[in-house]
Amino acid sequence: MKTLNIFILVLCCLIAACSHAPDPIRYGQDACTHCKMTIMDKRFAAELITAKGKVFKFDAAECMAGFLKENPAIAEDVKSVFLVNDFSRPGQFADARKSFFLRDSSLSSPMGGNLAAFLSLPAAEAAKKDKSAEVYDWSMLLSKNK
Amino acid sequence: MRSLIVKIGLLLVMPFPAWAHTIVVAPGTKVATIKQAIALAKNGDTIRVEKGTYISLNTIVDKELTILGQNQPVLDARFQEEVLTITARHVKLDGFIIKNSRTGSMRDFAGIRLSNVEFVTISNNTLVNNFFGIYLSNCKHIQVLHNRITGSNNIENSGNGIHLWKCKEILLNGNYVTRHRDGIYFEFAKKCLIENNFSEKNIRYGLHFMFSDDDTYRHNTFKNNGSGVSVMYTRRIAMLDNTFIENWGSSIYGVLLKEITDARIEGNHFIRNTTGIYMENSDRITVTHNDFISNGWAMRVLASCNKDHFTQNNYKGNSFDVTTNGTLKEIYFNDNYWDKYEGYDLNKDGTGDIPYRPISLYAQIIEQNPQSVMLMRSFIVNLIDKVERAIPSITPESVKDEKPRMKPWKR
Repeated sequence: MKTLNIFILVLCCLIAACSHAPDPIRYGQDACTHCKMTIMDKRFAAELITAKGKVFKFDAAECMAGFLKENPAIAEDVKSVFLVNDFSRPGQFADARKSFFLRDSSLSSPMGGNLAAFLSLPAAEAAKKDKSAEVYDWSMLLSKNK
Repeated sequence: MRSLIVKIGLLLVMPFPAWAHTIVVAPGTKVATIKQAIALAKNGDTIRVEKGTYISLNTIVDKELTILGQNQPVLDARFQEEVLTITARHVKLDGFIIKNSRTGSMRDFAGIRLSNVEFVTISNNTLVNNFFGIYLSNCKHIQVLHNRITGSNNIENSGNGIHLWKCKEILLNGNYVTRHRDGIYFEFAKKCLIENNFSEKNIRYGLHFMFSDDDTYRHNTFKNNGSGVSVMYTRRIAMLDNTFIENWGSSIYGVLLKEITDARIEGNHFIRNTTGIYMENSDRITVTHNDFISNGWAMRVLASCNKDHFTQNNYKGNSFDVTTNGTLKEIYFNDNYWDKYEGYDLNKDGTGDIPYRPISLYAQIIEQNPQSVMLMRSFIVNLIDKVERAIPSITPESVKDEKPRMKPWKR
């Protein structure tokens, strides 16, 4: 009986491990997959969950884009989940495919990309400070990085 | 030599006109705040601030002044604003306690901010509980000397201790930085000299370079930080005679190098770090005269590195001397001392007669499969390493020290 309980427990753990839920980022502890830096800034962090459920964490959207440039198969997989922190709500994930990305010299994002994600196009436009600032959607951002 | 010229240049910059006046600031007198004193002062004057506590909500120093604190007066921003902003050239600020700047995610509030200025000296100040400590933006020829900078150690409210953005020819000497995000952060800062600083217990890095070329750091100590020093996307950095000690934890390094070229790493001590040096996409790096003592990994050199030279180093008591994740090309080892070397020296010339292969088979296995760390120091691991050293079949054939030293290098 006891072995059965343990077996069920282990099975539950395995099933839990396979779920596609986002893994919360432990700020100050987790390292960025792409640049190896410790993730600190709740405004810029990003996360990728592959079709197989593997989680990669990033300290900035530009790092996730850089990682996807090196792993195009993951980038093109429709089952991949891309999450980015909404700049106006630090620490809250949003779907990167539906987000808008502002590149503005006044944003000092961790890897120098000056890039922040917003839930809506008006929010991104409103945050513009520099005249040469540009707004991209997800597919434009990835193609920019190629 | 170049750094010496920079230093002399910095020494020649303080003018001292003969007609200068001194204005005294003291609590309860006619001039009770620094703001009043600055309004009264002319270029070249000295402001002497007596002991006391002064509220300073973003006091702007826009004249060429020498501002001296007597017996460490306190400038307090009560978490409402920045404490002090310097926008004039030739300012000297010495001997204050500067504390409680505002924190916030949208703006980088600082204890002392220098904005678009030259020839400023910030010395002997104590900064406590500021979001960013000393923030230099778009500055040239600045000296930051003997300041003591303590942050809040809170991940949300910690900016960097000393932060440089778009700066040139800056001297940082003798500062102590702790409990900030990065102790010292360089972004687009060129031709700077960082020496005799002590950076410990910072959340991310002791010292961090991004896109900053031609800098030198020497005689600094980086102890118990998230990681010691990180150098990224940068060219021609000299790292000389520093100590990297007790930077422990998973994905934590003494020095992290990423996409850098033409760097020199000489005369440093790497003691009890998880990884002494981690290198990725880094070319033409010379690593000489360093001591690697009691680290988990002395060095992890990824296969993306090229044309790197490792000579005359001591490797003592490290769990692994070198590991890599693929095939290393054009990586050269020469004249190093390895305490794991078991060769012999029949002709007594001080150099081992058979090459040393620093990458062990077991280290390669761990690189592929981290869980196998549980077999560390077991008999079977010793056995496979011995066999692999005798007849290399899996570890990279090209990575070997042809002339391993029999005795450690004396420093």
